[in-house]
Amino acid sequence: MAALLEVKDLCKTYVVNKRQNNVLKNVNFSVEDGEMVAIMGPSGSGKSTLLYAVSGMDGATGGTVMFDGKDITKLKGKELAALRLDKMGFIFQQMYMMKNLTILDNIVLPAMESKKTSESKKEKLMRGEELMRKLGIIEVADNDINEVSGGQLQRACICRSMINKPKVLFADEPTGALNRTVSDEVMEELAKLNKEGTTIIMVTHDAKVAAKCSRVLYIVDGTIKGEYKSPSEPEAQEKDRERMLNNWLMELGW
Amino acid sequence: MLQHQYMFFRILKRDLKRKKTMNVILFLFIVLASMFVSSGINNVVTIMNGTDYYLDKAGIGDYVIITMGDNAVGALDEMLETETAVQDYRMERVVFGAQGDITAEDGSSVECKNTTIYQSIENSAITFFDMENEPVTGVEPGHVYVSGSFMEANGFEKGDRIRFRHSGVEGLEMSFILDGSIKDALLGSDFMGNTRFLLSDEDMRKLLENETIYNHYRGEICYIDTDDIQEMKAAMADVSNVVFDGARSTIKMCYVMDMVVAFVMLILSVCLIIVSFVVLKFSITFTITEEFREIGVMKAIGLSNGKIRSLYIVKYLMLAIVGAIIGFIASIPFGGLLLDSVSRKMMLGSDHAILLNMLGSVLVVCVIVLFAWIYTGKVKQSSPLDAIRSGQTGERYRSKSVLRIHKCPGGNAFYMAANDILSNPKRFLTIMISFGLCTLFVLMLVNTTATMKSPNLITMFGTESDLYVTDVADVMDYMNTGSKEGMQEHLKEMAEKLGEDGMPAELCIELQYKYHITFDGNRYVLTCQQGMNTEITEYAYTEGIPPQNEYEIAITPQISDLTGAKIGDTMTIHYGGEDMECMVTAYFQTMNLLGEVIRLHENAPTDFRYISSAMSYQIDFTDNPSEEEIELRKERIKKLYNNDKVMNVTEYCIDCTAVADTLESVQFLILGITLVVVILVTILMERSFTVDEKSQIAILKAIGFKDGAIIRWHVYRFGLAALIAVVVAAALSIPMTKLCITPIFGMMGAGDIDYHIDPLQIFIVYPGIVFVMTIFVTWITALYTRAIKSSDTANVE
Repeated sequence: MAALLEVKDLCKTYVVNKRQNNVLKNVNFSVEDGEMVAIMGPSGSGKSTLLYAVSGMDGATGGTVMFDGKDITKLKGKELAALRLDKMGFIFQQMYMMKNLTILDNIVLPAMESKKTSESKKEKLMRGEELMRKLGIIEVADNDINEVSGGQLQRACICRSMINKPKVLFADEPTGALNRTVSDEVMEELAKLNKEGTTIIMVTHDAKVAAKCSRVLYIVDGTIKGEYKSPSEPEAQEKDRERMLNNWLMELGW
Repeated sequence: MLQHQYMFFRILKRDLKRKKTMNVILFLFIVLASMFVSSGINNVVTIMNGTDYYLDKAGIGDYVIITMGDNAVGALDEMLETETAVQDYRMERVVFGAQGDITAEDGSSVECKNTTIYQSIENSAITFFDMENEPVTGVEPGHVYVSGSFMEANGFEKGDRIRFRHSGVEGLEMSFILDGSIKDALLGSDFMGNTRFLLSDEDMRKLLENETIYNHYRGEICYIDTDDIQEMKAAMADVSNVVFDGARSTIKMCYVMDMVVAFVMLILSVCLIIVSFVVLKFSITFTITEEFREIGVMKAIGLSNGKIRSLYIVKYLMLAIVGAIIGFIASIPFGGLLLDSVSRKMMLGSDHAILLNMLGSVLVVCVIVLFAWIYTGKVKQSSPLDAIRSGQTGERYRSKSVLRIHKCPGGNAFYMAANDILSNPKRFLTIMISFGLCTLFVLMLVNTTATMKSPNLITMFGTESDLYVTDVADVMDYMNTGSKEGMQEHLKEMAEKLGEDGMPAELCIELQYKYHITFDGNRYVLTCQQGMNTEITEYAYTEGIPPQNEYEIAITPQISDLTGAKIGDTMTIHYGGEDMECMVTAYFQTMNLLGEVIRLHENAPTDFRYISSAMSYQIDFTDNPSEEEIELRKERIKKLYNNDKVMNVTEYCIDCTAVADTLESVQFLILGITLVVVILVTILMERSFTVDEKSQIAILKAIGFKDGAIIRWHVYRFGLAALIAVVVAAALSIPMTKLCITPIFGMMGAGDIDYHIDPLQIFIVYPGIVFVMTIFVTWITALYTRAIKSSDTANVE
């Protein structure tokens, strides 16, 4: 399988009060098309920084990030925006949405902005409704963002991230603000999307969530310390996968 | 307790430091509000007391009489000695001259207002003030102070020389060095409008040594203290050679043009006060809403409502006090700038100016604390949940979004902007009210200035002619000789001269006489106008039938109010030796003498012995020349008569109202202030919105919105709000002009005005300037959104 995302010698340094803080130190990894990769690590290890650097949301200090044949560290603001609009999707721990728009209008907003397809506004709207229906939140389509639960809102964020059929979905602690039941439901949806062919890269603290991924990268002090591949056998039970991942994490000092 | 206080101030200190942007924005609003309110209150009080304060400081008294001409001196004495209504009086001796008596040093003509007046400053009975409002008490021999806008109008500087050559005296020539302009409470207004030259006692004596001047051009100005104006008016019936007599109220009314400008400033000040409070309310509610997350946290850790509330009130009080002090300091020059446009002719001021400014600043502090008290009341309702939901409880049952994305025309940026305004109109009301009010104000002023600079007002001053010659100094000769026939011959000669020069024309002139009139048992001395070579039917009337013969007259509503006479009543006019019963057949309006005028039929037996003034020579070409040709002829006539005071109808109206140019400069000043308000409100509100919407901007960037789209969203939002404001202002401008400005014209004698509306200016140019400025400033300010990164979604609170 071809690499959709290839990260080479990625560095990120913050300078605070004339002191350098090397958050990412020569990070190397690649993600293949259709993979679901989790990035784990202790607090302050650089997980989110890595996610934002590889997604082009934040600039890198050094190294390259090849995505869809382009080094996104070299792209300018407009090109990055176009890339995020049409080829990437984002989900965050905080479920940010436009305050004055309904849930459905929030979801279809990126589609309306995109010129990727020649669909009419109505067709885009129908696509948004279809996604909502698929994720089981169609009944809140016309609701205000304050009128829905956290789980519904995060599902709405997933719908928004998927509206332009991105090649890769970046998720930063997508279940971090949700309870276990809702978290499981959201992960089910992400797994389904992955099975349908969407590449997913997510940052998580939760081993149960990471166990649903095909691969786990463990990062400590800005460096990838290890890489775990989940058993690919379909017969592997979820609890077994989770136990095996936990064992691996404990070996790395988790 | 000490620990509590320590923590209290620690929280406060951290708050001021951490929320620097919002606190700075709030602070700037407070400074602005304090500046506007302080200067506004002072200006309102100053203007309301404007003329009274000025006339009191000058010592003008309650009644003023000016006498002129042969045997004028001494004519008053008997009345002053015998009349019981006269409590006290002060008199000054003056010399009258013609407009052309003064020239520049090189002999070139200069502009003087009407008849010129010369007197000694040392023996003046009232106080004159310099441009710094300091009393002027003396002048060196050979030097002179001049009243009104003589220096400005002729481009003279202090130290320049002028020459004086009296037209009625052969060989008398004097030269003076100009020491500067003075504010003359009696003759400095546009309606009185005589240029007064204040000389040294020595120079005045030299002038009076001339026998002709002493005998024929002397006059007196008498300032009388009295409690009984009616009695004074009745007593004036026995005094001859009076060119002017009027109560203090009449002199006050002569400043009506200046007060028009002053009232414009007053309304502007009130507008700025309203804008300040609207903006303050916005910034306080906005910043307190921003605090809900922290209020929730404080509640969660157990701080009482009172403690939390006092924390914010102390914070706002501190900001208010510091802001108000700075605003107070800034209000002094700012208020002065506003009043400066009015006070060139008047000494506007207040004995308690600083105190009033201070009062304004204290008021702002009180209002801020009051707003803070009211809005922090919501602390009681907030719960720790607010810490999680940033002040949103979720208990809302109506969808906030009004527009739907697929139904809205235009791009996403436009949709979001329009939806923001419709979903939360209260938030944008501040922009709409402040921009709308300021724009409406500018537009009302544009309508007023355009009307004053149009020929629409000509019926308020006389009849429409092709050209007007306003220098009527030569009428003085006929006034002195009492020769009406001579005057008629003069008009004929002028017409013949024009005809010989290829400009066939008819000439007419409107003359004013002072006659004793009796109605309902009361006697009055009133000004009567009669046209020479015009028919009374050529003038405009508002009600009734124009007088058909010498036994019929038309009166103004002001005369009707003064005497109680109505259409159908009969007044007795004492035409010298002959008394005539004249019926009032019509009402008319005029701005001459503030409307206190009676119009006489052309056959009425008027006598030049009673003439008091002449309006202007009116030239009507008989060969129907084009407008371009009239303009060419205007220049030719100027050369022909060596007279610069030749005007077309529009210029004549501007000359008569006198205030049009000042009003136009005030209009530009107010446009400037409006633009400053637009710039400040836009910058501060856009920055507030950007801080509030940081998370939304970051998420838009994260989902692929370009910087340009986000900037467009913000620009459209302010643009739409400004558009609504200027459209409403433009729509209201015509009815509001009629509502607010007509009463001011009414004070000048014209209650029914045909406003000159320039649709291009009202609907395009001025609203366009405000709109474009809003767009531009929003765009510049919104560029800051570029600094917000998509990755800020991770660290936005």
